[in-house]
Amino acid sequence: MELIENKQIDEKIYIETLENGMKVIIIPKENTNKKYIVWGTKFGSIDNHFIDPESGEEIKVPDGVAHYLEHKMFEQENGVDSLYKLQALGLDANAYTTNDHTAYLFTGTENFYEGLDELMDYVQHPYFTDENVEKERGIIGQEIQRYDDEPVWSLYINSMKCLYKNNPITIDPAGTIETISHITKETLYSCYNTFYHPTNMTMCIAGDFKSEEIIEEIKKRLLKHDKEGEIKRFYPPYEEDINEKYKEKKMNVNMPIFMIGYRDFMKDMNKVKKDLAVKIIFNSIIGKCSKTYKSLYDEGLIMSELDCDFEFSDQYSHALFSGESKEPKKVYDIIINALQNEKITTEDFERSKKRIYGEIVTQYEDVEEVGRMFLSDSIRGINSLEYINEINKITLDEIKDIQNKMFKLDKSILSVVD
Amino acid sequence: MFINKTVTNKYKTNELAIFLTLPLRKETITKNALLPKVLSRGTKNLKDQVEISKKLENMYGTNLNCGIDKAGDYCILKFYIQCIGNKYVLNNENLAQDGIDLLLDIVFNPLVENDKFDDKIVEQEKENLLQIIQSKKDNKEKYAFNRCIEEMFKNEPYGLYKFGTEEDLANINSKDLYEYYKEMLKQCRIDIFVYGMDAENIQVPKELESLGNIDIVNDNQQSSTNNSNSNGEPQLVRESADVTQGKLIIGLNVPNNDKFAATMYNIVLGGGANSKLFQNVREKQGLAYSAGSMYVRRKDAIFIRTGIELQNFEKTLEVIKEQLEAIRNGNITEDEINAGRELIIASLRMIQESQEDIISFNFDQELFGEKLKINEYIEKLQKVTKDDIIETAKNVKINTIYYLEN
Repeated sequence: MELIENKQIDEKIYIETLENGMKVIIIPKENTNKKYIVWGTKFGSIDNHFIDPESGEEIKVPDGVAHYLEHKMFEQENGVDSLYKLQALGLDANAYTTNDHTAYLFTGTENFYEGLDELMDYVQHPYFTDENVEKERGIIGQEIQRYDDEPVWSLYINSMKCLYKNNPITIDPAGTIETISHITKETLYSCYNTFYHPTNMTMCIAGDFKSEEIIEEIKKRLLKHDKEGEIKRFYPPYEEDINEKYKEKKMNVNMPIFMIGYRDFMKDMNKVKKDLAVKIIFNSIIGKCSKTYKSLYDEGLIMSELDCDFEFSDQYSHALFSGESKEPKKVYDIIINALQNEKITTEDFERSKKRIYGEIVTQYEDVEEVGRMFLSDSIRGINSLEYINEINKITLDEIKDIQNKMFKLDKSILSVVD
Repeated sequence: MFINKTVTNKYKTNELAIFLTLPLRKETITKNALLPKVLSRGTKNLKDQVEISKKLENMYGTNLNCGIDKAGDYCILKFYIQCIGNKYVLNNENLAQDGIDLLLDIVFNPLVENDKFDDKIVEQEKENLLQIIQSKKDNKEKYAFNRCIEEMFKNEPYGLYKFGTEEDLANINSKDLYEYYKEMLKQCRIDIFVYGMDAENIQVPKELESLGNIDIVNDNQQSSTNNSNSNGEPQLVRESADVTQGKLIIGLNVPNNDKFAATMYNIVLGGGANSKLFQNVREKQGLAYSAGSMYVRRKDAIFIRTGIELQNFEKTLEVIKEQLEAIRNGNITEDEINAGRELIIASLRMIQESQEDIISFNFDQELFGEKLKINEYIEKLQKVTKDDIIETAKNVKINTIYYLEN
């Protein structure tokens, strides 16, 4: 078992790769009663074309299948729904599907091992029938329609459609009413057999645990599997440019919302460094202390600090800045100009680093947040503690270099919902 | 002021909060909503937003949050700071004390010139609040929920929208608002909560401590009026908007004689996946993705919330009414009760794992004079029997059915 420690923020983690290839990450938290576990598979909405390593067969699946599968995992052969069983144990259980992974989790203060029994049982025992797959279609249809009424969701999907043409990140993870109509129990089993193999899965556990003990408890509950070969996944070719500069959707909102996006074309640079650099650049140039923010605020063009996000996987990488404004196009012009032309001072740099350092420390407070962070980073090949090391190391020259390469006027997009 | 300090090494941060409590009134709600926004824009020491923001970033990205809330018939102005613990700072700062000093500076030492707030700040924040009021309808689920509350508690304080009204906002100027602020400080109750590893040594200046030692007696704690029409049918409100999914919200009056039984009733009805609503509306009938209920303990009300296909209004309403009837007839299993009890007890235990949640819980207990600790609260829930739940169910009445459709 590998131990990684960070004395500065007083955290340590244990990482173990089991014989069957499954990775387990343990984040011990001695002083809390709350326990959290999340078990994820590297199978998200972008994985719709692949070769099954066992049969060697090439498979294409309808959009929304990872999410559909997530819904159906809870149903057991004996008619029991594991979600109800976990809740009846007083555990807050859930599951979610993102672009690049699907995860099953629960949190609670009592009954952890009873919950572990249930979690590891249902995730390892799929039970799909024509009837139970059919019944779910209506519920997922309602979930899709609920998202359709969400302005923020439309804003995001349209940003993706501006940044990319054929990249699967432009697909709604839940699919559409039409695509999910093609999903059958056979589709679900074939995806399950390919992606829910321990070799493709990672488990993160945070709470008051002894690492050796919890590893043994997990091993006891795992079904026997040999290590699986690598899953060959097919994605559309890398796109060298953005797709569309602007998209607008009418949803009759009182206050328009907007998202500004930039593709990141720096393929070989350390992702953690880029992530921190984007946050420092954002904070220095359009954050609350900047002169750009002040003038936007004073002119009544924005009401609060924008949200800043840097999203990436092996298939996509982009920075997103979003907010509300009466005049999104005006805000866009001012911001893209500032990002390209404003110089970051040493004072901005040092202050931004302090803010980000504090935010990282705060993330380690809650077991849920820590567990989820380690899982999603691990899926992308990152150990979350790298962020704290990198924030100590990063230099202003590196930031300036990233600013010059990434924030170019002609590589930016704007999505608006009004 | 009432100062509560809790020392714990459970967290990496300290959480600091100041609450100003006032009666909820139509005449003052808009001013109350505007005040935290104006106060957080500048103090005599930090004269503008940039100075405040720089201060916060240099305090390792300390979070400052201000806002307004309704609790029963009270209106609460809330000011929070969350900062990392002193053991994690890099230059030996006493961040926890700096945090409380900043919070006190914002609440009690505002930027004032010529006996009024800064005109420009007040105008900007009025504009921002106006946008919030006008954007009420942008999130359809929240909107439908707020509209149901408004209809169920019309002409009563609790029916007020917490951000106030456009008309009242238009009439506020920087001078009146400052006058109101001074008056308000004399009349409100003030609570300070400090929670975290450095709580012990945090000091509040003596001259401030004498403020806000008031127990507000709210003699007009009202429950909602009977909104049924002459046939005894509950009021039905249907409204159109640009939605692809119908939002059905149902407001229930719940008896106030046993709030723990009402809590259990609510959890059996619509709390979590084992509840009647989730099982029947979602799982058996597939009518909705979300189906559940929430209990507003301080107003003796339960709100059922669902999102459904547009044509399923009548059918869903019927299924919901069947569930209310089922509980009333004692048609509940021990499994349902136990699963509900586990869920609510687990969520109460979870409150102790979040600084913000435990502060809210303790404050609510203080304010309404219940003074229960989490464990005592759990004990009370453990004593609720099936008969208690049925007794509550018999006295539950549908007050308002609100439907937002296309």
